[in-house]
Amino acid sequence: MTTLTAGSGSDSGRSRPAARRPVIVIGLAAAVLLLAAAGPELVANDPLAQSLELRNAGPSAAHPLGVDPLGRDMAARLAAGTRLSLAIALAGSAVALLLGAGVGLVAAVAGGWLRSVLMGLVDLVRTMPGVLLALVLMVALGNGAAPVILALGLAFAPIFALVAAATYRREMAAGYVQAALVLGSGRFALLRRHVLPNIVGALVTQAALVVPRAITTESVLSFLGLGVAPETPTWGRMIADGVPYIETAPHAALVPMMALSLVTVVCVLAGDRLRATLDPLRDTGTPRP
Amino acid sequence: MHRIPIARRTLFAGAALLAAGLAHPAFADETPQRGGTLKIAVLGLDTADPHRHTGSIAVQQVFVETLTSIADDGTVRPFLAERYSVSADGRTYEFAIRRGVRFHNGRELTAADVKANFERVRDTVKRGWLTSAMKLLTAVEATDSHTLRVSLSEPYAPFLNLLSELWIVAPESPGWAGTITRPIATGPFAFGEWQPKVRFRAPAHKQYWMAGKPYLDAVEFDLRDADDNSLALRAGDLHVARVPHDKAAQLKREGKVGVQHLKDTTWYFWSFNNRKPRPPFDDVRVRQAVTYMLDKPAYMRFIAGDAGVVTNQMAAPGNFFWDKALHEADRHAKPDPEKAAALLREAGVDPAAHTVRIVSWQDPYTQIVVQAMRRLGFGVDHQALDDIGAQRRLGQYDWDIAPMSSGPRADIFLRFVRMTSDGPNPVLWGGVQDGEFDRLVAQAVAAPDPADVRRNYLSAWQRAMERYYTVVVGHSANAIGVRPEVRGYTTGFTWGQHSAGGGVAFTWLAGNRS
Repeated sequence: MTTLTAGSGSDSGRSRPAARRPVIVIGLAAAVLLLAAAGPELVANDPLAQSLELRNAGPSAAHPLGVDPLGRDMAARLAAGTRLSLAIALAGSAVALLLGAGVGLVAAVAGGWLRSVLMGLVDLVRTMPGVLLALVLMVALGNGAAPVILALGLAFAPIFALVAAATYRREMAAGYVQAALVLGSGRFALLRRHVLPNIVGALVTQAALVVPRAITTESVLSFLGLGVAPETPTWGRMIADGVPYIETAPHAALVPMMALSLVTVVCVLAGDRLRATLDPLRDTGTPRP
Repeated sequence: MHRIPIARRTLFAGAALLAAGLAHPAFADETPQRGGTLKIAVLGLDTADPHRHTGSIAVQQVFVETLTSIADDGTVRPFLAERYSVSADGRTYEFAIRRGVRFHNGRELTAADVKANFERVRDTVKRGWLTSAMKLLTAVEATDSHTLRVSLSEPYAPFLNLLSELWIVAPESPGWAGTITRPIATGPFAFGEWQPKVRFRAPAHKQYWMAGKPYLDAVEFDLRDADDNSLALRAGDLHVARVPHDKAAQLKREGKVGVQHLKDTTWYFWSFNNRKPRPPFDDVRVRQAVTYMLDKPAYMRFIAGDAGVVTNQMAAPGNFFWDKALHEADRHAKPDPEKAAALLREAGVDPAAHTVRIVSWQDPYTQIVVQAMRRLGFGVDHQALDDIGAQRRLGQYDWDIAPMSSGPRADIFLRFVRMTSDGPNPVLWGGVQDGEFDRLVAQAVAAPDPADVRRNYLSAWQRAMERYYTVVVGHSANAIGVRPEVRGYTTGFTWGQHSAGGGVAFTWLAGNRS
C-alpha cells in the first residue's frame, strides 16, 4: 500500500516504504527511548555480574539473549548499553549543536576577519573524518564518558556551524528582515526576535541527523577501547567483547550489532521525518516566489 | 562435572608442559627440502639495534645470535661460544668462541668482536636486562683470536643465562656509535626489509655456520600484531603464528593446524601500589581481604582454559624454582568472600567509602578483578590502557591495584629483579622498595650453589607473599599455531624464534616448489 502526501518534502508525491511512515517511525523511536529509559529496571539481572562458568552460553529462560564472554547477561547489558550509548550520543550531539551553532552565528554576525578565521577553523576540522578526529581527541583527553561526549561534540560541531551560518545569511536576505531593519530594529534584537527562531528548525533537524552518526562513532570509540571503562556496557564494548568469539558464540557480537543497526536506522528515519516536517524550504504545495 | 583437585591439575599441567618440550617430533626422520619463505607472526620488532630492544626478542633473534642459548628445560647451552668454563670462585668466565662463524658481510667472528659488544652494552645501554650484570664487569679480554675472558667483581648466578640476550653484532654495522640502523650479525637470516609495525623480511644467510642450514630462502614476519591469527593460519596466509588459548583449543579440535607451546610460561598476577600505597591499601589486612575475593581457578580458566595452571609463585610447577610446599600452603587457592569481609571489618574499613583505582591493559581478564572489587563493596575506577599508557600511568603511583601478566624470561632472576628497589621497569609490580627483599635476591644471585640460589629466591618470594606486594594467580604457556606443511619447527623457551636447539634455522616447508 502506498500513501500520497502533500507538502512532505523530498518524498512528496512518491510512494513510501512502510518503515518511513510517521506512525511507524514515531513508534520505533518511542520504543528505543522507552528501552533506554526503563529497560535496565525491567531486566532483573545485573549487567556487571559475572558467572564465569556460564560464559558464552546461548539464550535460555534465565538469560533470554544469552551470556557474554565474561558470563554477564546480554539482555541486561543491552538494556543498560542502550541507555548509555544513547545518552552519550545525545549529549555529544547537544555539545556539537551548541558549539557549532555558536561559532557559526558569531562568524556570520561578526563578518570580516573574525568570520574568515572562525570559518577557516571550521573548514580545517571538516577536512578530518569525524571518527578520526574523535580518535585523536580521545587520545588527548583520556578515557571516560565526559571525554567521549566532548570528542563527539568537537567532531560534529562543524556541521552545525555551517548550517547556522548559511541559514543566518539566508534569513538576513529575506524580506521580513529587511523590513525590520528599515523599521529600525537593532542587530541583536533582530537576531533574537526574528532570525534565531527561524533557524532553530534547521539546527534541530541537523541534530536529528547527527545523533545516529554520534551513536556509531561512540560505538567505534568503545570498540577500539577508547570510550568508557571496559566493563561498562555500551554497544561498542559489547561488540568488541563478542567479536573474538564470533565463530563459537555468535550471539555475543550479533545482539549488540543488531541493536546498533536497528537504533541507527530508527534515528535516521526519525531525523528524516523531522527534516521533512521542519525544513522551511519543504515543498508545501505552494509555488515559491 | 568431575573436577580434578587443583593441586593435581596443577601438577598434571606442569608435567604436560614439560612433556610438550621433550616430545620427539614426527617429522624428525624426513629429508628436509630447501627453499620457500616462512610466513610467521609472533611478536614485534621495536628497533633495529639489538642492544637497545625494549620489547620482544622474537624477531631479532633470527638475525642476531648470542654466546649462550636457553634450552627447552631452561638450562643454558653453548651457542656462539663453543664451550665455556667458570672459575671456582664464580668470578671468571672463559669463552671459546666458535670458529668459522661468519657475519652477514662474510667476515669471521672473533673474540675482539664479542669484546666490543660487551663494552658497547656496558657503556651505552642503561636500565636494560643486562644492567646489573654489566655493573659487575671488571675486565673483558680477548686472550687470543677466539678466546674471551670475562671477570666479574663478585659471583653472579644468572650470568650465563643472561648472556643469551647479549646480542653479538659486527662493530662495522651502520650506527654502531649511536643507534644501529642495519645490524650485521651472524644469525641464519640477515636483516632485510623492515616496515615497522607492518612487515620484516629476512633473507637466508648463505654462509651460516650450522652446516646445511637454514633450509628456507627467507622468513617474513607479519608485524601487525593481530589479536587472532587463527584464520590466517587456516587460510595458509601464515605458516606459524601466535594464537589465543581458546583459538588454540579450537585448532587442536579441528586437527588441521598443529599447536605448540612456548617452554616457559607467562605468569598472571596482580600488584598493589607498593611505592606510594593509598589508604586503605597500606594495611596488609586489606590487601589480604581483597585477595580472598579472587577466584584463581576461574581466573585462569578464563585466560587459558585447561592450559592454565594455578599457583602462588613466579615459577611454574615443574620449574626448579617452584616449591611444592609453598604451593600447597596457598591460602588463596580458593576464594573466601566471608573471610574477606571479616578482614575488612577487622581493619575498620568500609569498602563503600572507598573507590579502588585499577590500572590495567585492555585484556578482558582484568574485568574479573574489577568485579571482585565491586562484589566486596568497593567503588571502582578502572583505567584500561594500551601498553605505553598503562606503563606511564602505573609510573605515577596514584593507583591501588594492577592486574598484569609477564612473559617468558631467560632466567628467573629477570622476574625477581623487577621487584628490587632499583630494578628495571618496576611499575607492573608496584615499585617495591624493600631492602630485605633486595638483600635476599642479591644473596641468591651471588650464591655459587644452585640449592642456595633457590633457597634465597624462595625466601625473597615468601617475604613478597607475606607483604602482598604481588599476588600470583597462575601460569600458562603461550600457544603457537603451526601449519602442517611446516617441518622441523619447534618453539623455544622464550619467544625467540631461533636458538641452539630449534627454531627457524631448522625449519623447512614440505611440498615447496620454489
